[in-house]
Amino acid sequence: MQLFWLSFGFGLVTASVLAISAVGLSLQFGITNYINFAYGDFMALGAYITYVLNNEVLHWNIWVALVCGSLAVGVIAVILSQLILSPFARRFDKTFYVLIVTFGLSLILLNVMYSIWGASVRFYNVPINRALHIGPMLLTAYQLIVMVIAVVLMIGVAVLLKTTRLGKSMRAMSDNTTLAMTSGINTKMITTITWFISGSLAGLAGSVLGLTEGNLTPAAGELFLFVIFAAVIVGGVGSIYGAMAGAVLIGLATEVSAAFINPAYKLDIAFLILILTLLFRPSGLFARSGKG
Amino acid sequence: MTAVWYYVFTLVFFLFDYFILAMGLNIQYGETGILNFAYFAFVAVGAYVTGAVSLPNSVGTGQHYIFGWGIPFPFNLLMGGIATSLLAVVLAFITLRRLRTDYLAMVLISSSLILYDICNNFVPLFNGADGLYNVPPPFASVLKLTTNSFIPFFAAVTGVIALIMWFVMSRITRSPLGRTFRAIRDDDTVAAALGKNVFRGQLKSMIIGSFYAGIGGGLIIQFSGSLNPTAWLPGETFVVFAVIIVGGVGNNVGLLVGSLLVETLLVHLTAFLPAIPGHPGLIEYIDAMLIGVFLMVMLWFRPQGVWPERPRLSATMVRLLGKRGPSVDEARVEADVSDAALNDGSRG
Repeated sequence: MQLFWLSFGFGLVTASVLAISAVGLSLQFGITNYINFAYGDFMALGAYITYVLNNEVLHWNIWVALVCGSLAVGVIAVILSQLILSPFARRFDKTFYVLIVTFGLSLILLNVMYSIWGASVRFYNVPINRALHIGPMLLTAYQLIVMVIAVVLMIGVAVLLKTTRLGKSMRAMSDNTTLAMTSGINTKMITTITWFISGSLAGLAGSVLGLTEGNLTPAAGELFLFVIFAAVIVGGVGSIYGAMAGAVLIGLATEVSAAFINPAYKLDIAFLILILTLLFRPSGLFARSGKG
Repeated sequence: MTAVWYYVFTLVFFLFDYFILAMGLNIQYGETGILNFAYFAFVAVGAYVTGAVSLPNSVGTGQHYIFGWGIPFPFNLLMGGIATSLLAVVLAFITLRRLRTDYLAMVLISSSLILYDICNNFVPLFNGADGLYNVPPPFASVLKLTTNSFIPFFAAVTGVIALIMWFVMSRITRSPLGRTFRAIRDDDTVAAALGKNVFRGQLKSMIIGSFYAGIGGGLIIQFSGSLNPTAWLPGETFVVFAVIIVGGVGNNVGLLVGSLLVETLLVHLTAFLPAIPGHPGLIEYIDAMLIGVFLMVMLWFRPQGVWPERPRLSATMVRLLGKRGPSVDEARVEADVSDAALNDGSRG
């Protein structure tokens, strides 16, 4: 039983990282209507920018570096979407083309990171701290802070979407872009802002993934992307709250199962849940009309 | 034989092998419109099964693998192809019926990572992270081939197999089945309205394409004698996509041109460049970036490829019309562009 609670604690940490990244991916998918296969590399890029600010030259505090790293990826995401993805999406009606372009972008970004930082494993410059007992769970202070960040961000995104003019415009665009445009919403502006938010969330998720895992490699984001896909599809593609729910479900399922089966196969549990969802509830837990 | 010829025949082998791989992905993506981002997982499964059935019983070899039947070439290759086709059936029944393009691509790429994960961790299957090695080269003992003479010999064998498979593929793409595939690609709703069973069409396309993937993969493991899981991460699938898009989607001859340009020149020729001192692997990284950039430039300026698809007309139609119409892809791309212009700004 103690093993269960220990792994439950780790599950909450994974769920936090997953929730941040899954919401970022879903927001962008809702607005632009295509999946960004380079999202995992956006995450890794954020982790490495944070690493540079934290370790190499500047030796900033990890939290300052983390915020700056996330915002930097937000800016990079806007630039890449304006220069490459949006022109392709506007020019070709079939989703094929732009999906292949994001796939290619992922290959380019991954190899840029390999060229700059090499394939070796890196570590953040943070003091090692003892694990704390939180009830039956055993977590480090960093893991606790990451969980708090995730909860605050999720509430923030919900408030943004429900109450602000920007959030309402985003929801309108996600439902029907043409209708939103004719209602006087500046769709180009909303798209740019969405890319910035999505990129920032990716950068943040990548950095906190490196922080909670204790190490970072260029390929870490790509391997994690698949878990995000599982969370997003299980939750219902395009639904923000579905993404959050899917993240909690997949995060807990992978980590708790690792207590009972060989941990090398914990990702396969995520895949199993994904397959079961596709077989019995293909539109996900929180299905949205118009995105299926 | 000098080292130069050794390299040249290695390039020839990869030219033909990627021609086969490209034909397989082309029938899925180019002809039917299935965005199979898991393609190289099929190639790897084909390679592993081919290797594992041709190796002797695993007891005492220092490796762990299933099968170990010592089946000779080319029957091992066929078994590899059949195994990938079975995998395609399983994946198709789970995914194809329910998902549209993006979701399908997401689930397929996920399943390729899971297959990678299982092969990497579950040692009794295909020797885990070490991969299979010492796979017996075909005919080497019968014809008394040395390491040097085996390479040109096997490049020639691959060329013959590629020719046969090209002939079969050109028959398939010209058959009613091929027309059904293209109808599904261009508009699956219209195809369904005309009474075509879209799922069954896609399933057939997945099976045929996966068989080609399995044969191409089997040839790789027969050529190099070994394969380990790091050889088939998603980047490898992208190379095959690049071959198709550069050569010309939906065109079998164009694929050979694409294979020459991308696989032979961009991927393998750079392997012979000297390493930059102090930066191991930098050339491969830059090379992979260049492939990505090349593909995007190609997609933007010449989306129909070097050798565009032509509309396929029957002899009667050609006689009636007296000429061949515009390239299908030009027409299609123009239609896509004009459609997109109508709802400009709707997708950004």
